[in-house]
Amino acid sequence: MKSYFWFVAKRAVLLVAVIFFGVSATFFITHLSPISPVETALGRIMNQSSFSPDAIEEMRRVLTDLYGTDRPLLQQYLTFWQKLAAGDLGPSLIAFPTPAMTLVMQALPWTVVLLLVSTMITFAIGNLMGAMAGYFQDNIALKAFGVVAVVLQPIPYYVVAFVLLILFGFVWPVLPISGGYAMDVAPGFTLSFVQSVLMHAILPAASLVLVGFGSWFLGMRALVSTVVTEDFVTYAELAGVRNSTIMGGYVIRNALIPQVTGLAMSLGAVFSGTIITEQVFNYPGLGSLLIDAVFGGDYALVLAVSTISIAAVGIAIFIVDLLYPLIDPRVKAE
Amino acid sequence: MFAVLRDLIRYNAEFAIGLVLVLSIIIFAMLSVFNPVDARLIFTTIPDQPPSAEFWFGTNSRGQDMFWQLSEAFRNSLMFGLTVAVISRILSISVGLLSGYIGGWTDRILMFINDIFVAIPIFPVLVLFYFVLRSDMNAVTLAFIMACLGWPYDARLIRSVALGLKHREFTRHAVFAGMSTRKILLEEHLPFVMPIVFSTFMNNMLWSIGLEVTLAVLGLTDINTPTIGTVLYWANSHSAMVVGVWWWIVIPVVLTALTFLGMFLLAVSTNEYIDPRSRLRRMGV
Amino acid sequence: MNRRRFLQTTALGAVFMAGGRFAGAQQASAPDLARFPRDKTIIIQNPEGVIRNPGWFNIWVNGGGGQSTGLQQLALDTLWYIDPDAGIEGASQNGIYNSLASGPWQYNDDFTKMTAPLREGMLWSDGKPFTSADVAFTVDLQMRTPGMIWSSTFANQVQSIETPDEKTVIFNLKKPNSRFHTLFSVRWNACWIMPKHVFETVKDPLTFAFNPPVGLGAYTLNSFDPNGTWFIWDKRPDWDKTPMGLVGEPKPQHAIYRNNISIDNRLIEMRNGNLDMIHDLTPEGAFSIVQQDPTTQGWFPSFPYAHPDPTLIHVLFNHQSGASLFGDKRIRWALALMLDARAMSMASYRGAATLSAIAVPPTGTHPRDYHMKLQDYLTNYEVDTGKRKVKVYDPDIGMQIADMVRRQFGAAVPTDPVAVRNAFGYGWWKQDVAAAEELLLAAGCTKSGRQWMLPDGKPFRFNLMVPPDGVVNRLGTVIAQAWSQNGIEVTPEAAPDIRERLTAGDYVASVRWAIETFGGHPDLSFFLDSYHSQYVAAQGKPQAPRNLMRYSAPQQDQIIEKIRGTGFNDPRSLELGHDYVKYYIDEMPVIPIMSFNVFSVQSNRYWTGWPNAQKPYANPVTNWGNSRYILTQIRSAK
Repeated sequence: MKSYFWFVAKRAVLLVAVIFFGVSATFFITHLSPISPVETALGRIMNQSSFSPDAIEEMRRVLTDLYGTDRPLLQQYLTFWQKLAAGDLGPSLIAFPTPAMTLVMQALPWTVVLLLVSTMITFAIGNLMGAMAGYFQDNIALKAFGVVAVVLQPIPYYVVAFVLLILFGFVWPVLPISGGYAMDVAPGFTLSFVQSVLMHAILPAASLVLVGFGSWFLGMRALVSTVVTEDFVTYAELAGVRNSTIMGGYVIRNALIPQVTGLAMSLGAVFSGTIITEQVFNYPGLGSLLIDAVFGGDYALVLAVSTISIAAVGIAIFIVDLLYPLIDPRVKAE
Repeated sequence: MFAVLRDLIRYNAEFAIGLVLVLSIIIFAMLSVFNPVDARLIFTTIPDQPPSAEFWFGTNSRGQDMFWQLSEAFRNSLMFGLTVAVISRILSISVGLLSGYIGGWTDRILMFINDIFVAIPIFPVLVLFYFVLRSDMNAVTLAFIMACLGWPYDARLIRSVALGLKHREFTRHAVFAGMSTRKILLEEHLPFVMPIVFSTFMNNMLWSIGLEVTLAVLGLTDINTPTIGTVLYWANSHSAMVVGVWWWIVIPVVLTALTFLGMFLLAVSTNEYIDPRSRLRRMGV
Repeated sequence: MNRRRFLQTTALGAVFMAGGRFAGAQQASAPDLARFPRDKTIIIQNPEGVIRNPGWFNIWVNGGGGQSTGLQQLALDTLWYIDPDAGIEGASQNGIYNSLASGPWQYNDDFTKMTAPLREGMLWSDGKPFTSADVAFTVDLQMRTPGMIWSSTFANQVQSIETPDEKTVIFNLKKPNSRFHTLFSVRWNACWIMPKHVFETVKDPLTFAFNPPVGLGAYTLNSFDPNGTWFIWDKRPDWDKTPMGLVGEPKPQHAIYRNNISIDNRLIEMRNGNLDMIHDLTPEGAFSIVQQDPTTQGWFPSFPYAHPDPTLIHVLFNHQSGASLFGDKRIRWALALMLDARAMSMASYRGAATLSAIAVPPTGTHPRDYHMKLQDYLTNYEVDTGKRKVKVYDPDIGMQIADMVRRQFGAAVPTDPVAVRNAFGYGWWKQDVAAAEELLLAAGCTKSGRQWMLPDGKPFRFNLMVPPDGVVNRLGTVIAQAWSQNGIEVTPEAAPDIRERLTAGDYVASVRWAIETFGGHPDLSFFLDSYHSQYVAAQGKPQAPRNLMRYSAPQQDQIIEKIRGTGFNDPRSLELGHDYVKYYIDEMPVIPIMSFNVFSVQSNRYWTGWPNAQKPYANPVTNWGNSRYILTQIRSAK
């Protein structure tokens, strides 16, 4: 038990280091951006009407001062950590002076719910079917399913999403195609709101599942097909243990570890959002927020989204690492 | 080698189909060398023609012959995907096996670097690279950047398999027999991770081509060079689906699906060949 | 969670999901807006993306709120409106509406003092009366608070503000400005008047969200999407106490502005009855919906459908960083003569372009004031190639394009010459490669094989920066191609950040727009005033709009200075406009190509009476503040 404690402690230190270096790297990468938040803000303002050029010059000076973009990079870096330590990610520059965190929190629930649900469904379907296909390698139905998975998987996600949109929004218009919920329901924990949210999530979620399950399927199928050739499976078969028990008890358990690792890492995608889903279905979420932030030169916002994403992925990997020795007894906690 | 290939084709229908599909696509992509016009030019032919004897794959709303456009697009996209997959496979196999087998500080440091790469969100990084590099951001540069970002995921997977292998009997035997680490990894452990390498190879190609499509659909690549992504980008910006120019999207999608189906069949049948026990099992022994 | 429970839960989840999807397909229909019956509600597309800070209505501060969410169209108001089209007959004069002002602006002789007479009896949406104090406060607060949108504009110009009574406001200016009133004249927008009684209680106007907004428009906020994709407005019961109500009763009880709708979804949503007005479509999408759905309409009743915005698309030469390439006007002229107007029209708008050979957009009343009047001048215009003099203008190019598109669109293409000229343009330069080559030789260029060399011996090659999508991208690509085919190696470079790069001067040549006018009024100061050499930034420094070409010339400065000394409605300003056009023909500092046509589409399913080319009472483009007048002219289709 003591050794396990040290194992956890070491991993925890590593976790903190990963977050620190990850966020620092992102800080410097985002500040490399040639897009100036002051110029994009000015662009938005100036495009609206006819300002005299000397007024614009003055506005540029005021905004630069306000956004603090002219300060030395190292100073900005230190201020960033100081503020972050206090839980503040600074004001967003595309929606100055709204805190970047406020914008993130507005988009986060949509993305997290949509992606967590569809990732879990995808993971479940893909692995279950993949395990079966790997074990019962001669089953025709499972082979057919495999072909479907293989054929669906490479289709560019944009096309899958768009075909769903055209089918259920245009050819047979039965599902809503824009937004997170209908305009005439008030947000809140009411039946009509939840219903509306579910209806609006069907197409985005379906598109994600359709495209996503293939890689889990193929991965699991490959893993299981190596595990089934191992001696203990042959012994079990010779001993007359039922197929379902072999599969559930030995095979999947052995093959699941890499898949769970994969799941932990795909959480990163959960927090950076799905840009194309949001674009095709006009769905609210972090993806388009991130795009707007990058295009607007709003490094505060890019950093806010990235920091959350880095922390989430780091923690997920940390948890999986802790679980390794528990799932697979052959792996020692070291 | 030739005999092996002949046997595979004769006795394994999956291999044969896969080979035909992949070869067809490769030949199709190679044909781009004979493209009579510069694929970057627009309005070189009548726009919006459906597939016909004259235009096998139709023409798009930009007045381009889709046969030649797609031929170039597949050449570019497949080369791109292969480059990313090969480079990132080398990285992920080395890191995964070393980290899993040696363990200790090597493992910790490698996984530390690995975790940082996993944690950094790729998309904004790629978009920022695009803005920094601008016209220098061609397919080769993008392939190298994505290869550098695309290995850690699979390195983790390979490491987790390698961790299991380390404690297996045959590894201990090999160590007792005085095999070098390099030999153990290449000769004993590598075959075990090959199935996962194959499947991640394809996944990685899909991932890189998919990401290229995402970037292209958003207009963040060199959109005048034909790739699967830029073909879709232009189809989208001409409302191809809603106005009925279906061949602009359907044909590339079918070709993409066939390519990967072929690769999948090849991978599966080769995996079985590599692993003799699996082959015996299949034969019902 | 152990393995078995995990599998059970996920399997259950999958079944639940599949079941839910099935049930959904059974019950679903197009969203039914129970609270907003369609015969009382207009749904308008706003082209903005997701509004990041939807609760921000303080339009005087750039705080991430929406602009065209209905806020500037329906809720706010200011002194005058200048319509980019003809304006409503009886309610406007020469396209000019008196909105909060009761009459036109008045200047003293040296343009250092502007007096605005104001209406009486107008009410803010919270019931408080509007007075001159509100106008004075709007200007004063912004002058006092740097960081607000109009702060520096007013601080630079206004000496003092007087309000002798509740219906008069007088601005004393620091220096003469004959166009000061345009700051309060909505063309797309203008400085909106803020409610003094709300803002005077605010400590820091820079952080004040102004939610809910209090305005002088005929509508007031009902609700908005916390995710920033729609805004709903209700007609005020006292709509007749607003300037918009004086023009006519706005018919819809509710107005919904929906934003962040991708370009194909717009088309689908209109077909499904969830949109009445679309801001813009792709040319292909617009042709398709107008043909498939007989209740939809564009600006022209037939081809080319699109509304010409008072914005001119042209080739921009960077006269600083591109000076070694484009410094010689003969080279600029050669580049213009290498272009084929028909190819440009077909490639960009599939023939639905309105061409313009002169540096004024062929929109609003400009064809009457400029294009028609200068037609003879252009037809007789000669370019000296160094070897000979060539007549370079082709007055019939519009007719030729009409004939070309008639093959595809048949009877939908007009045949009447006047209709064709208004829709397709009055003419453009003839493609004349021989003349172009003579001009290049005269400028000292040489030809080596197929490739042209600059006078300094370097190959003539450059990148042409274009937007990443849309008709301008298509146009730029075909222009680059035409030059390349004629021996000048031009690569089109799609730049998602084209606006920033134009400002930064980080380009040598581009295709976009830097010429924008009022549209309904012949005055050109809207863009031309900023072209004065006093405003041209040094290389490497950001350039203020709209002279993104960084072009300066003493002759241009003289014209601008004369316009500054001439009243807005003075007929002499039209003559000065002609001087500018002729100067730009001689020098070709930009290559004018076509107006920026917008495929605004309206549906007659629930509402009818939209503006169009025959009844051009307003600009149908939904994000313009001016589009509010449409709501007073439409009626229920029932």
